[in-house]
Amino acid sequence: MDKYDTPQGSAGPAAFVRAANIVKAYGDHRAVDDVSMDLKAGEVVSIIGPSGAGKSTFLRCLNFLEMPTAGAVTIGDRSVAVGPDHATPSRKDLAALRRNVGMVFQSFNLFPHLTALRNISLPQERVLGRSRQEADERSRALLARVGLKDKADSYPSRCSGGQQQRIAIARALALDPAVMLFDEPTSALDPEVGMEVLAVMRELAGDGMTMVVVTHEMAFARDVSDRVVVMVDGAVVEDGSPEVVMSDPTNARTRQFLSAVLGR
Amino acid sequence: MKWTEYLPELASGLGVALRLTGLSLLLGFPLGLVLAKLTDSRVRALRLVAVGLVEIGRGLPLLVLLYLVYQGLPQVGLTATAMVSAVAAFTWSAAAYSAEVIRACLVAVPVGQREAAIAAGMSDRDTFRFVILPQAARLAVPPLMNLAVQWFQFTSLAYVITLPEIMQAAYLLGTVNFDYLSVFLAAGFLYAAVTIPASGLVSLVEKRLSRHL
Amino acid sequence: MNTQSLVYLLGGVVGTLVITGAAFAIGAVLGAPVAWAQRSRFFPVRALIRTYVEIIRAVPPLVWIFVVFFGLPEVGVSLQPLTAAIVTLGVIASSYLAEIYRGGLAAIHRGQWEACAALGMSGLDTARHVVAPQVLRVILPTAATYLIGLLKDSALASAIGVAEIAFRANAETQRTGLGLTFFVAAGVLYVLLSLPLAAMSRRLDSRIRARYAMT
Repeated sequence: MDKYDTPQGSAGPAAFVRAANIVKAYGDHRAVDDVSMDLKAGEVVSIIGPSGAGKSTFLRCLNFLEMPTAGAVTIGDRSVAVGPDHATPSRKDLAALRRNVGMVFQSFNLFPHLTALRNISLPQERVLGRSRQEADERSRALLARVGLKDKADSYPSRCSGGQQQRIAIARALALDPAVMLFDEPTSALDPEVGMEVLAVMRELAGDGMTMVVVTHEMAFARDVSDRVVVMVDGAVVEDGSPEVVMSDPTNARTRQFLSAVLGR
Repeated sequence: MKWTEYLPELASGLGVALRLTGLSLLLGFPLGLVLAKLTDSRVRALRLVAVGLVEIGRGLPLLVLLYLVYQGLPQVGLTATAMVSAVAAFTWSAAAYSAEVIRACLVAVPVGQREAAIAAGMSDRDTFRFVILPQAARLAVPPLMNLAVQWFQFTSLAYVITLPEIMQAAYLLGTVNFDYLSVFLAAGFLYAAVTIPASGLVSLVEKRLSRHL
Repeated sequence: MNTQSLVYLLGGVVGTLVITGAAFAIGAVLGAPVAWAQRSRFFPVRALIRTYVEIIRAVPPLVWIFVVFFGLPEVGVSLQPLTAAIVTLGVIASSYLAEIYRGGLAAIHRGQWEACAALGMSGLDTARHVVAPQVLRVILPTAATYLIGLLKDSALASAIGVAEIAFRANAETQRTGLGLTFFVAAGVLYVLLSLPLAAMSRRLDSRIRARYAMT
């Protein structure tokens, strides 16, 4: 299994992924209210919190699927800033940044008209300019990696939800992203099917992938992540190691939320 | 004379009708795709022109559109044969109706598809070409086929601008033999003989295409 | 275009509206038993009605108009052009409206009939007070759209000499040679006539959707 290279010099305090003062406002309502977050290379951060807290919106701001009202995102050596003082970012800049960010959606969003293999190959061919043969070869390796070697020629409609999500993970990995974003990847799945997806994510984390995971899976947040961030009403109310955040939270809203989801 | 004996006499008209249908769809559908894209254009002028063309194409009776082209253009010094006029009017109308169908199908592709492609760094053009269009095309095939069947039926309208299609041939035969009932029933049979199997084919295709999605 | 021509053309609006309105009325009335028979328990009835609908639709409306106007006199049925157009378009409309009714009926939950039966209501009362009002609401937007289509189809009557809009535009063109002027004017008239219908259809549609929270 391949390990993810840690970029030179990022082992230190320098952030590898940096979101600075992200704001997403809809009229007067601030869905994301001045959220900043730094990730070191190889770090796994889980974002938890009640629904409607702006977790997914924040995540989608990181690759500009949602255009932030203001703020800046830096990934590796690429930076895109938006807000009143900045010009609207060009499509080229956005595409360049997105190329380094893999995203896994709650609803998989596999392309239904393409086989599993072609789902993974298409972006490689169009974005990285790989040849079809080269792309397919890489896709097969990735399918094997997520345990779906024999599903290469199946259409998404012939795959279970868990299989579809694993294919989606392979599709995102195919572009060799610097960071992977997971937007509630198991929410649309039955618990036992969700396990197989979580297992793949655990492995990824173990291999040193930098990951931001919006999730309701408390066990995953506790066991796999290096840091847990709690968001409430569009703002970060807690940010620390899983042990501290989940067993000894300082914020009242965090305690309230955790007691509700953990049943204590 | 029995009505079946008129059928061979109407065959030439059928050929003209099929040619008119084929030409106007061959030109109309691609034009419809262009109009569908333009109605969402960021350039206001293009959007207005596209919406205008679609609304006129759908808002006027095809009969009036036919007259407009065939009898209207000479007023500004342009003359076209009945066939060219008919193709022009039919193409316009087909483009307008298919633009609506195609637009609806493009919109019907879930937002997540676009997001997934964009998130992977694909350009807008590639996203449209490789992700949105293939899925929309699948949705659009049955309604566009239905449109095609309808357009074949519409060729009967070209009678009013003296195009020698089925109705024109039937009318002449009826006048000569003074036997309108049989002649027009034969004409009706001819239309049905194309329309019914074609409609059957559409439902067959519809069933097959819906299997994958 | 002088005033006289304009007045003449405008006079065609009456013909267009009469054909459209009368044909729609015939279709609306005739469509009900057709839709009802399509739900019959007896296969032969269903098959017969299905064939009726299919045959009507498989042949272009202009052909039916010619069969009725030019053909039927041979078997002793002679109709005035206006009557022939109205009757033909009305019968065609019945096949389409029957389909629309059927869709409306299908949208109504079985439980409505069962509830009425449980309350001891007669079949006629159920149809009149419970089913019909609900069906009507569901089908109004579709029926309005069909009505706009019928307005455009009424132009076919010009082919057998009914002096509606298209016929008069053509007549004036033959007289003056100003085809563009007259057919643009005719086009404007058709659009003007369909606008209120389209607006009504949209209004009804959004209101019904809002009320039943349909998406």
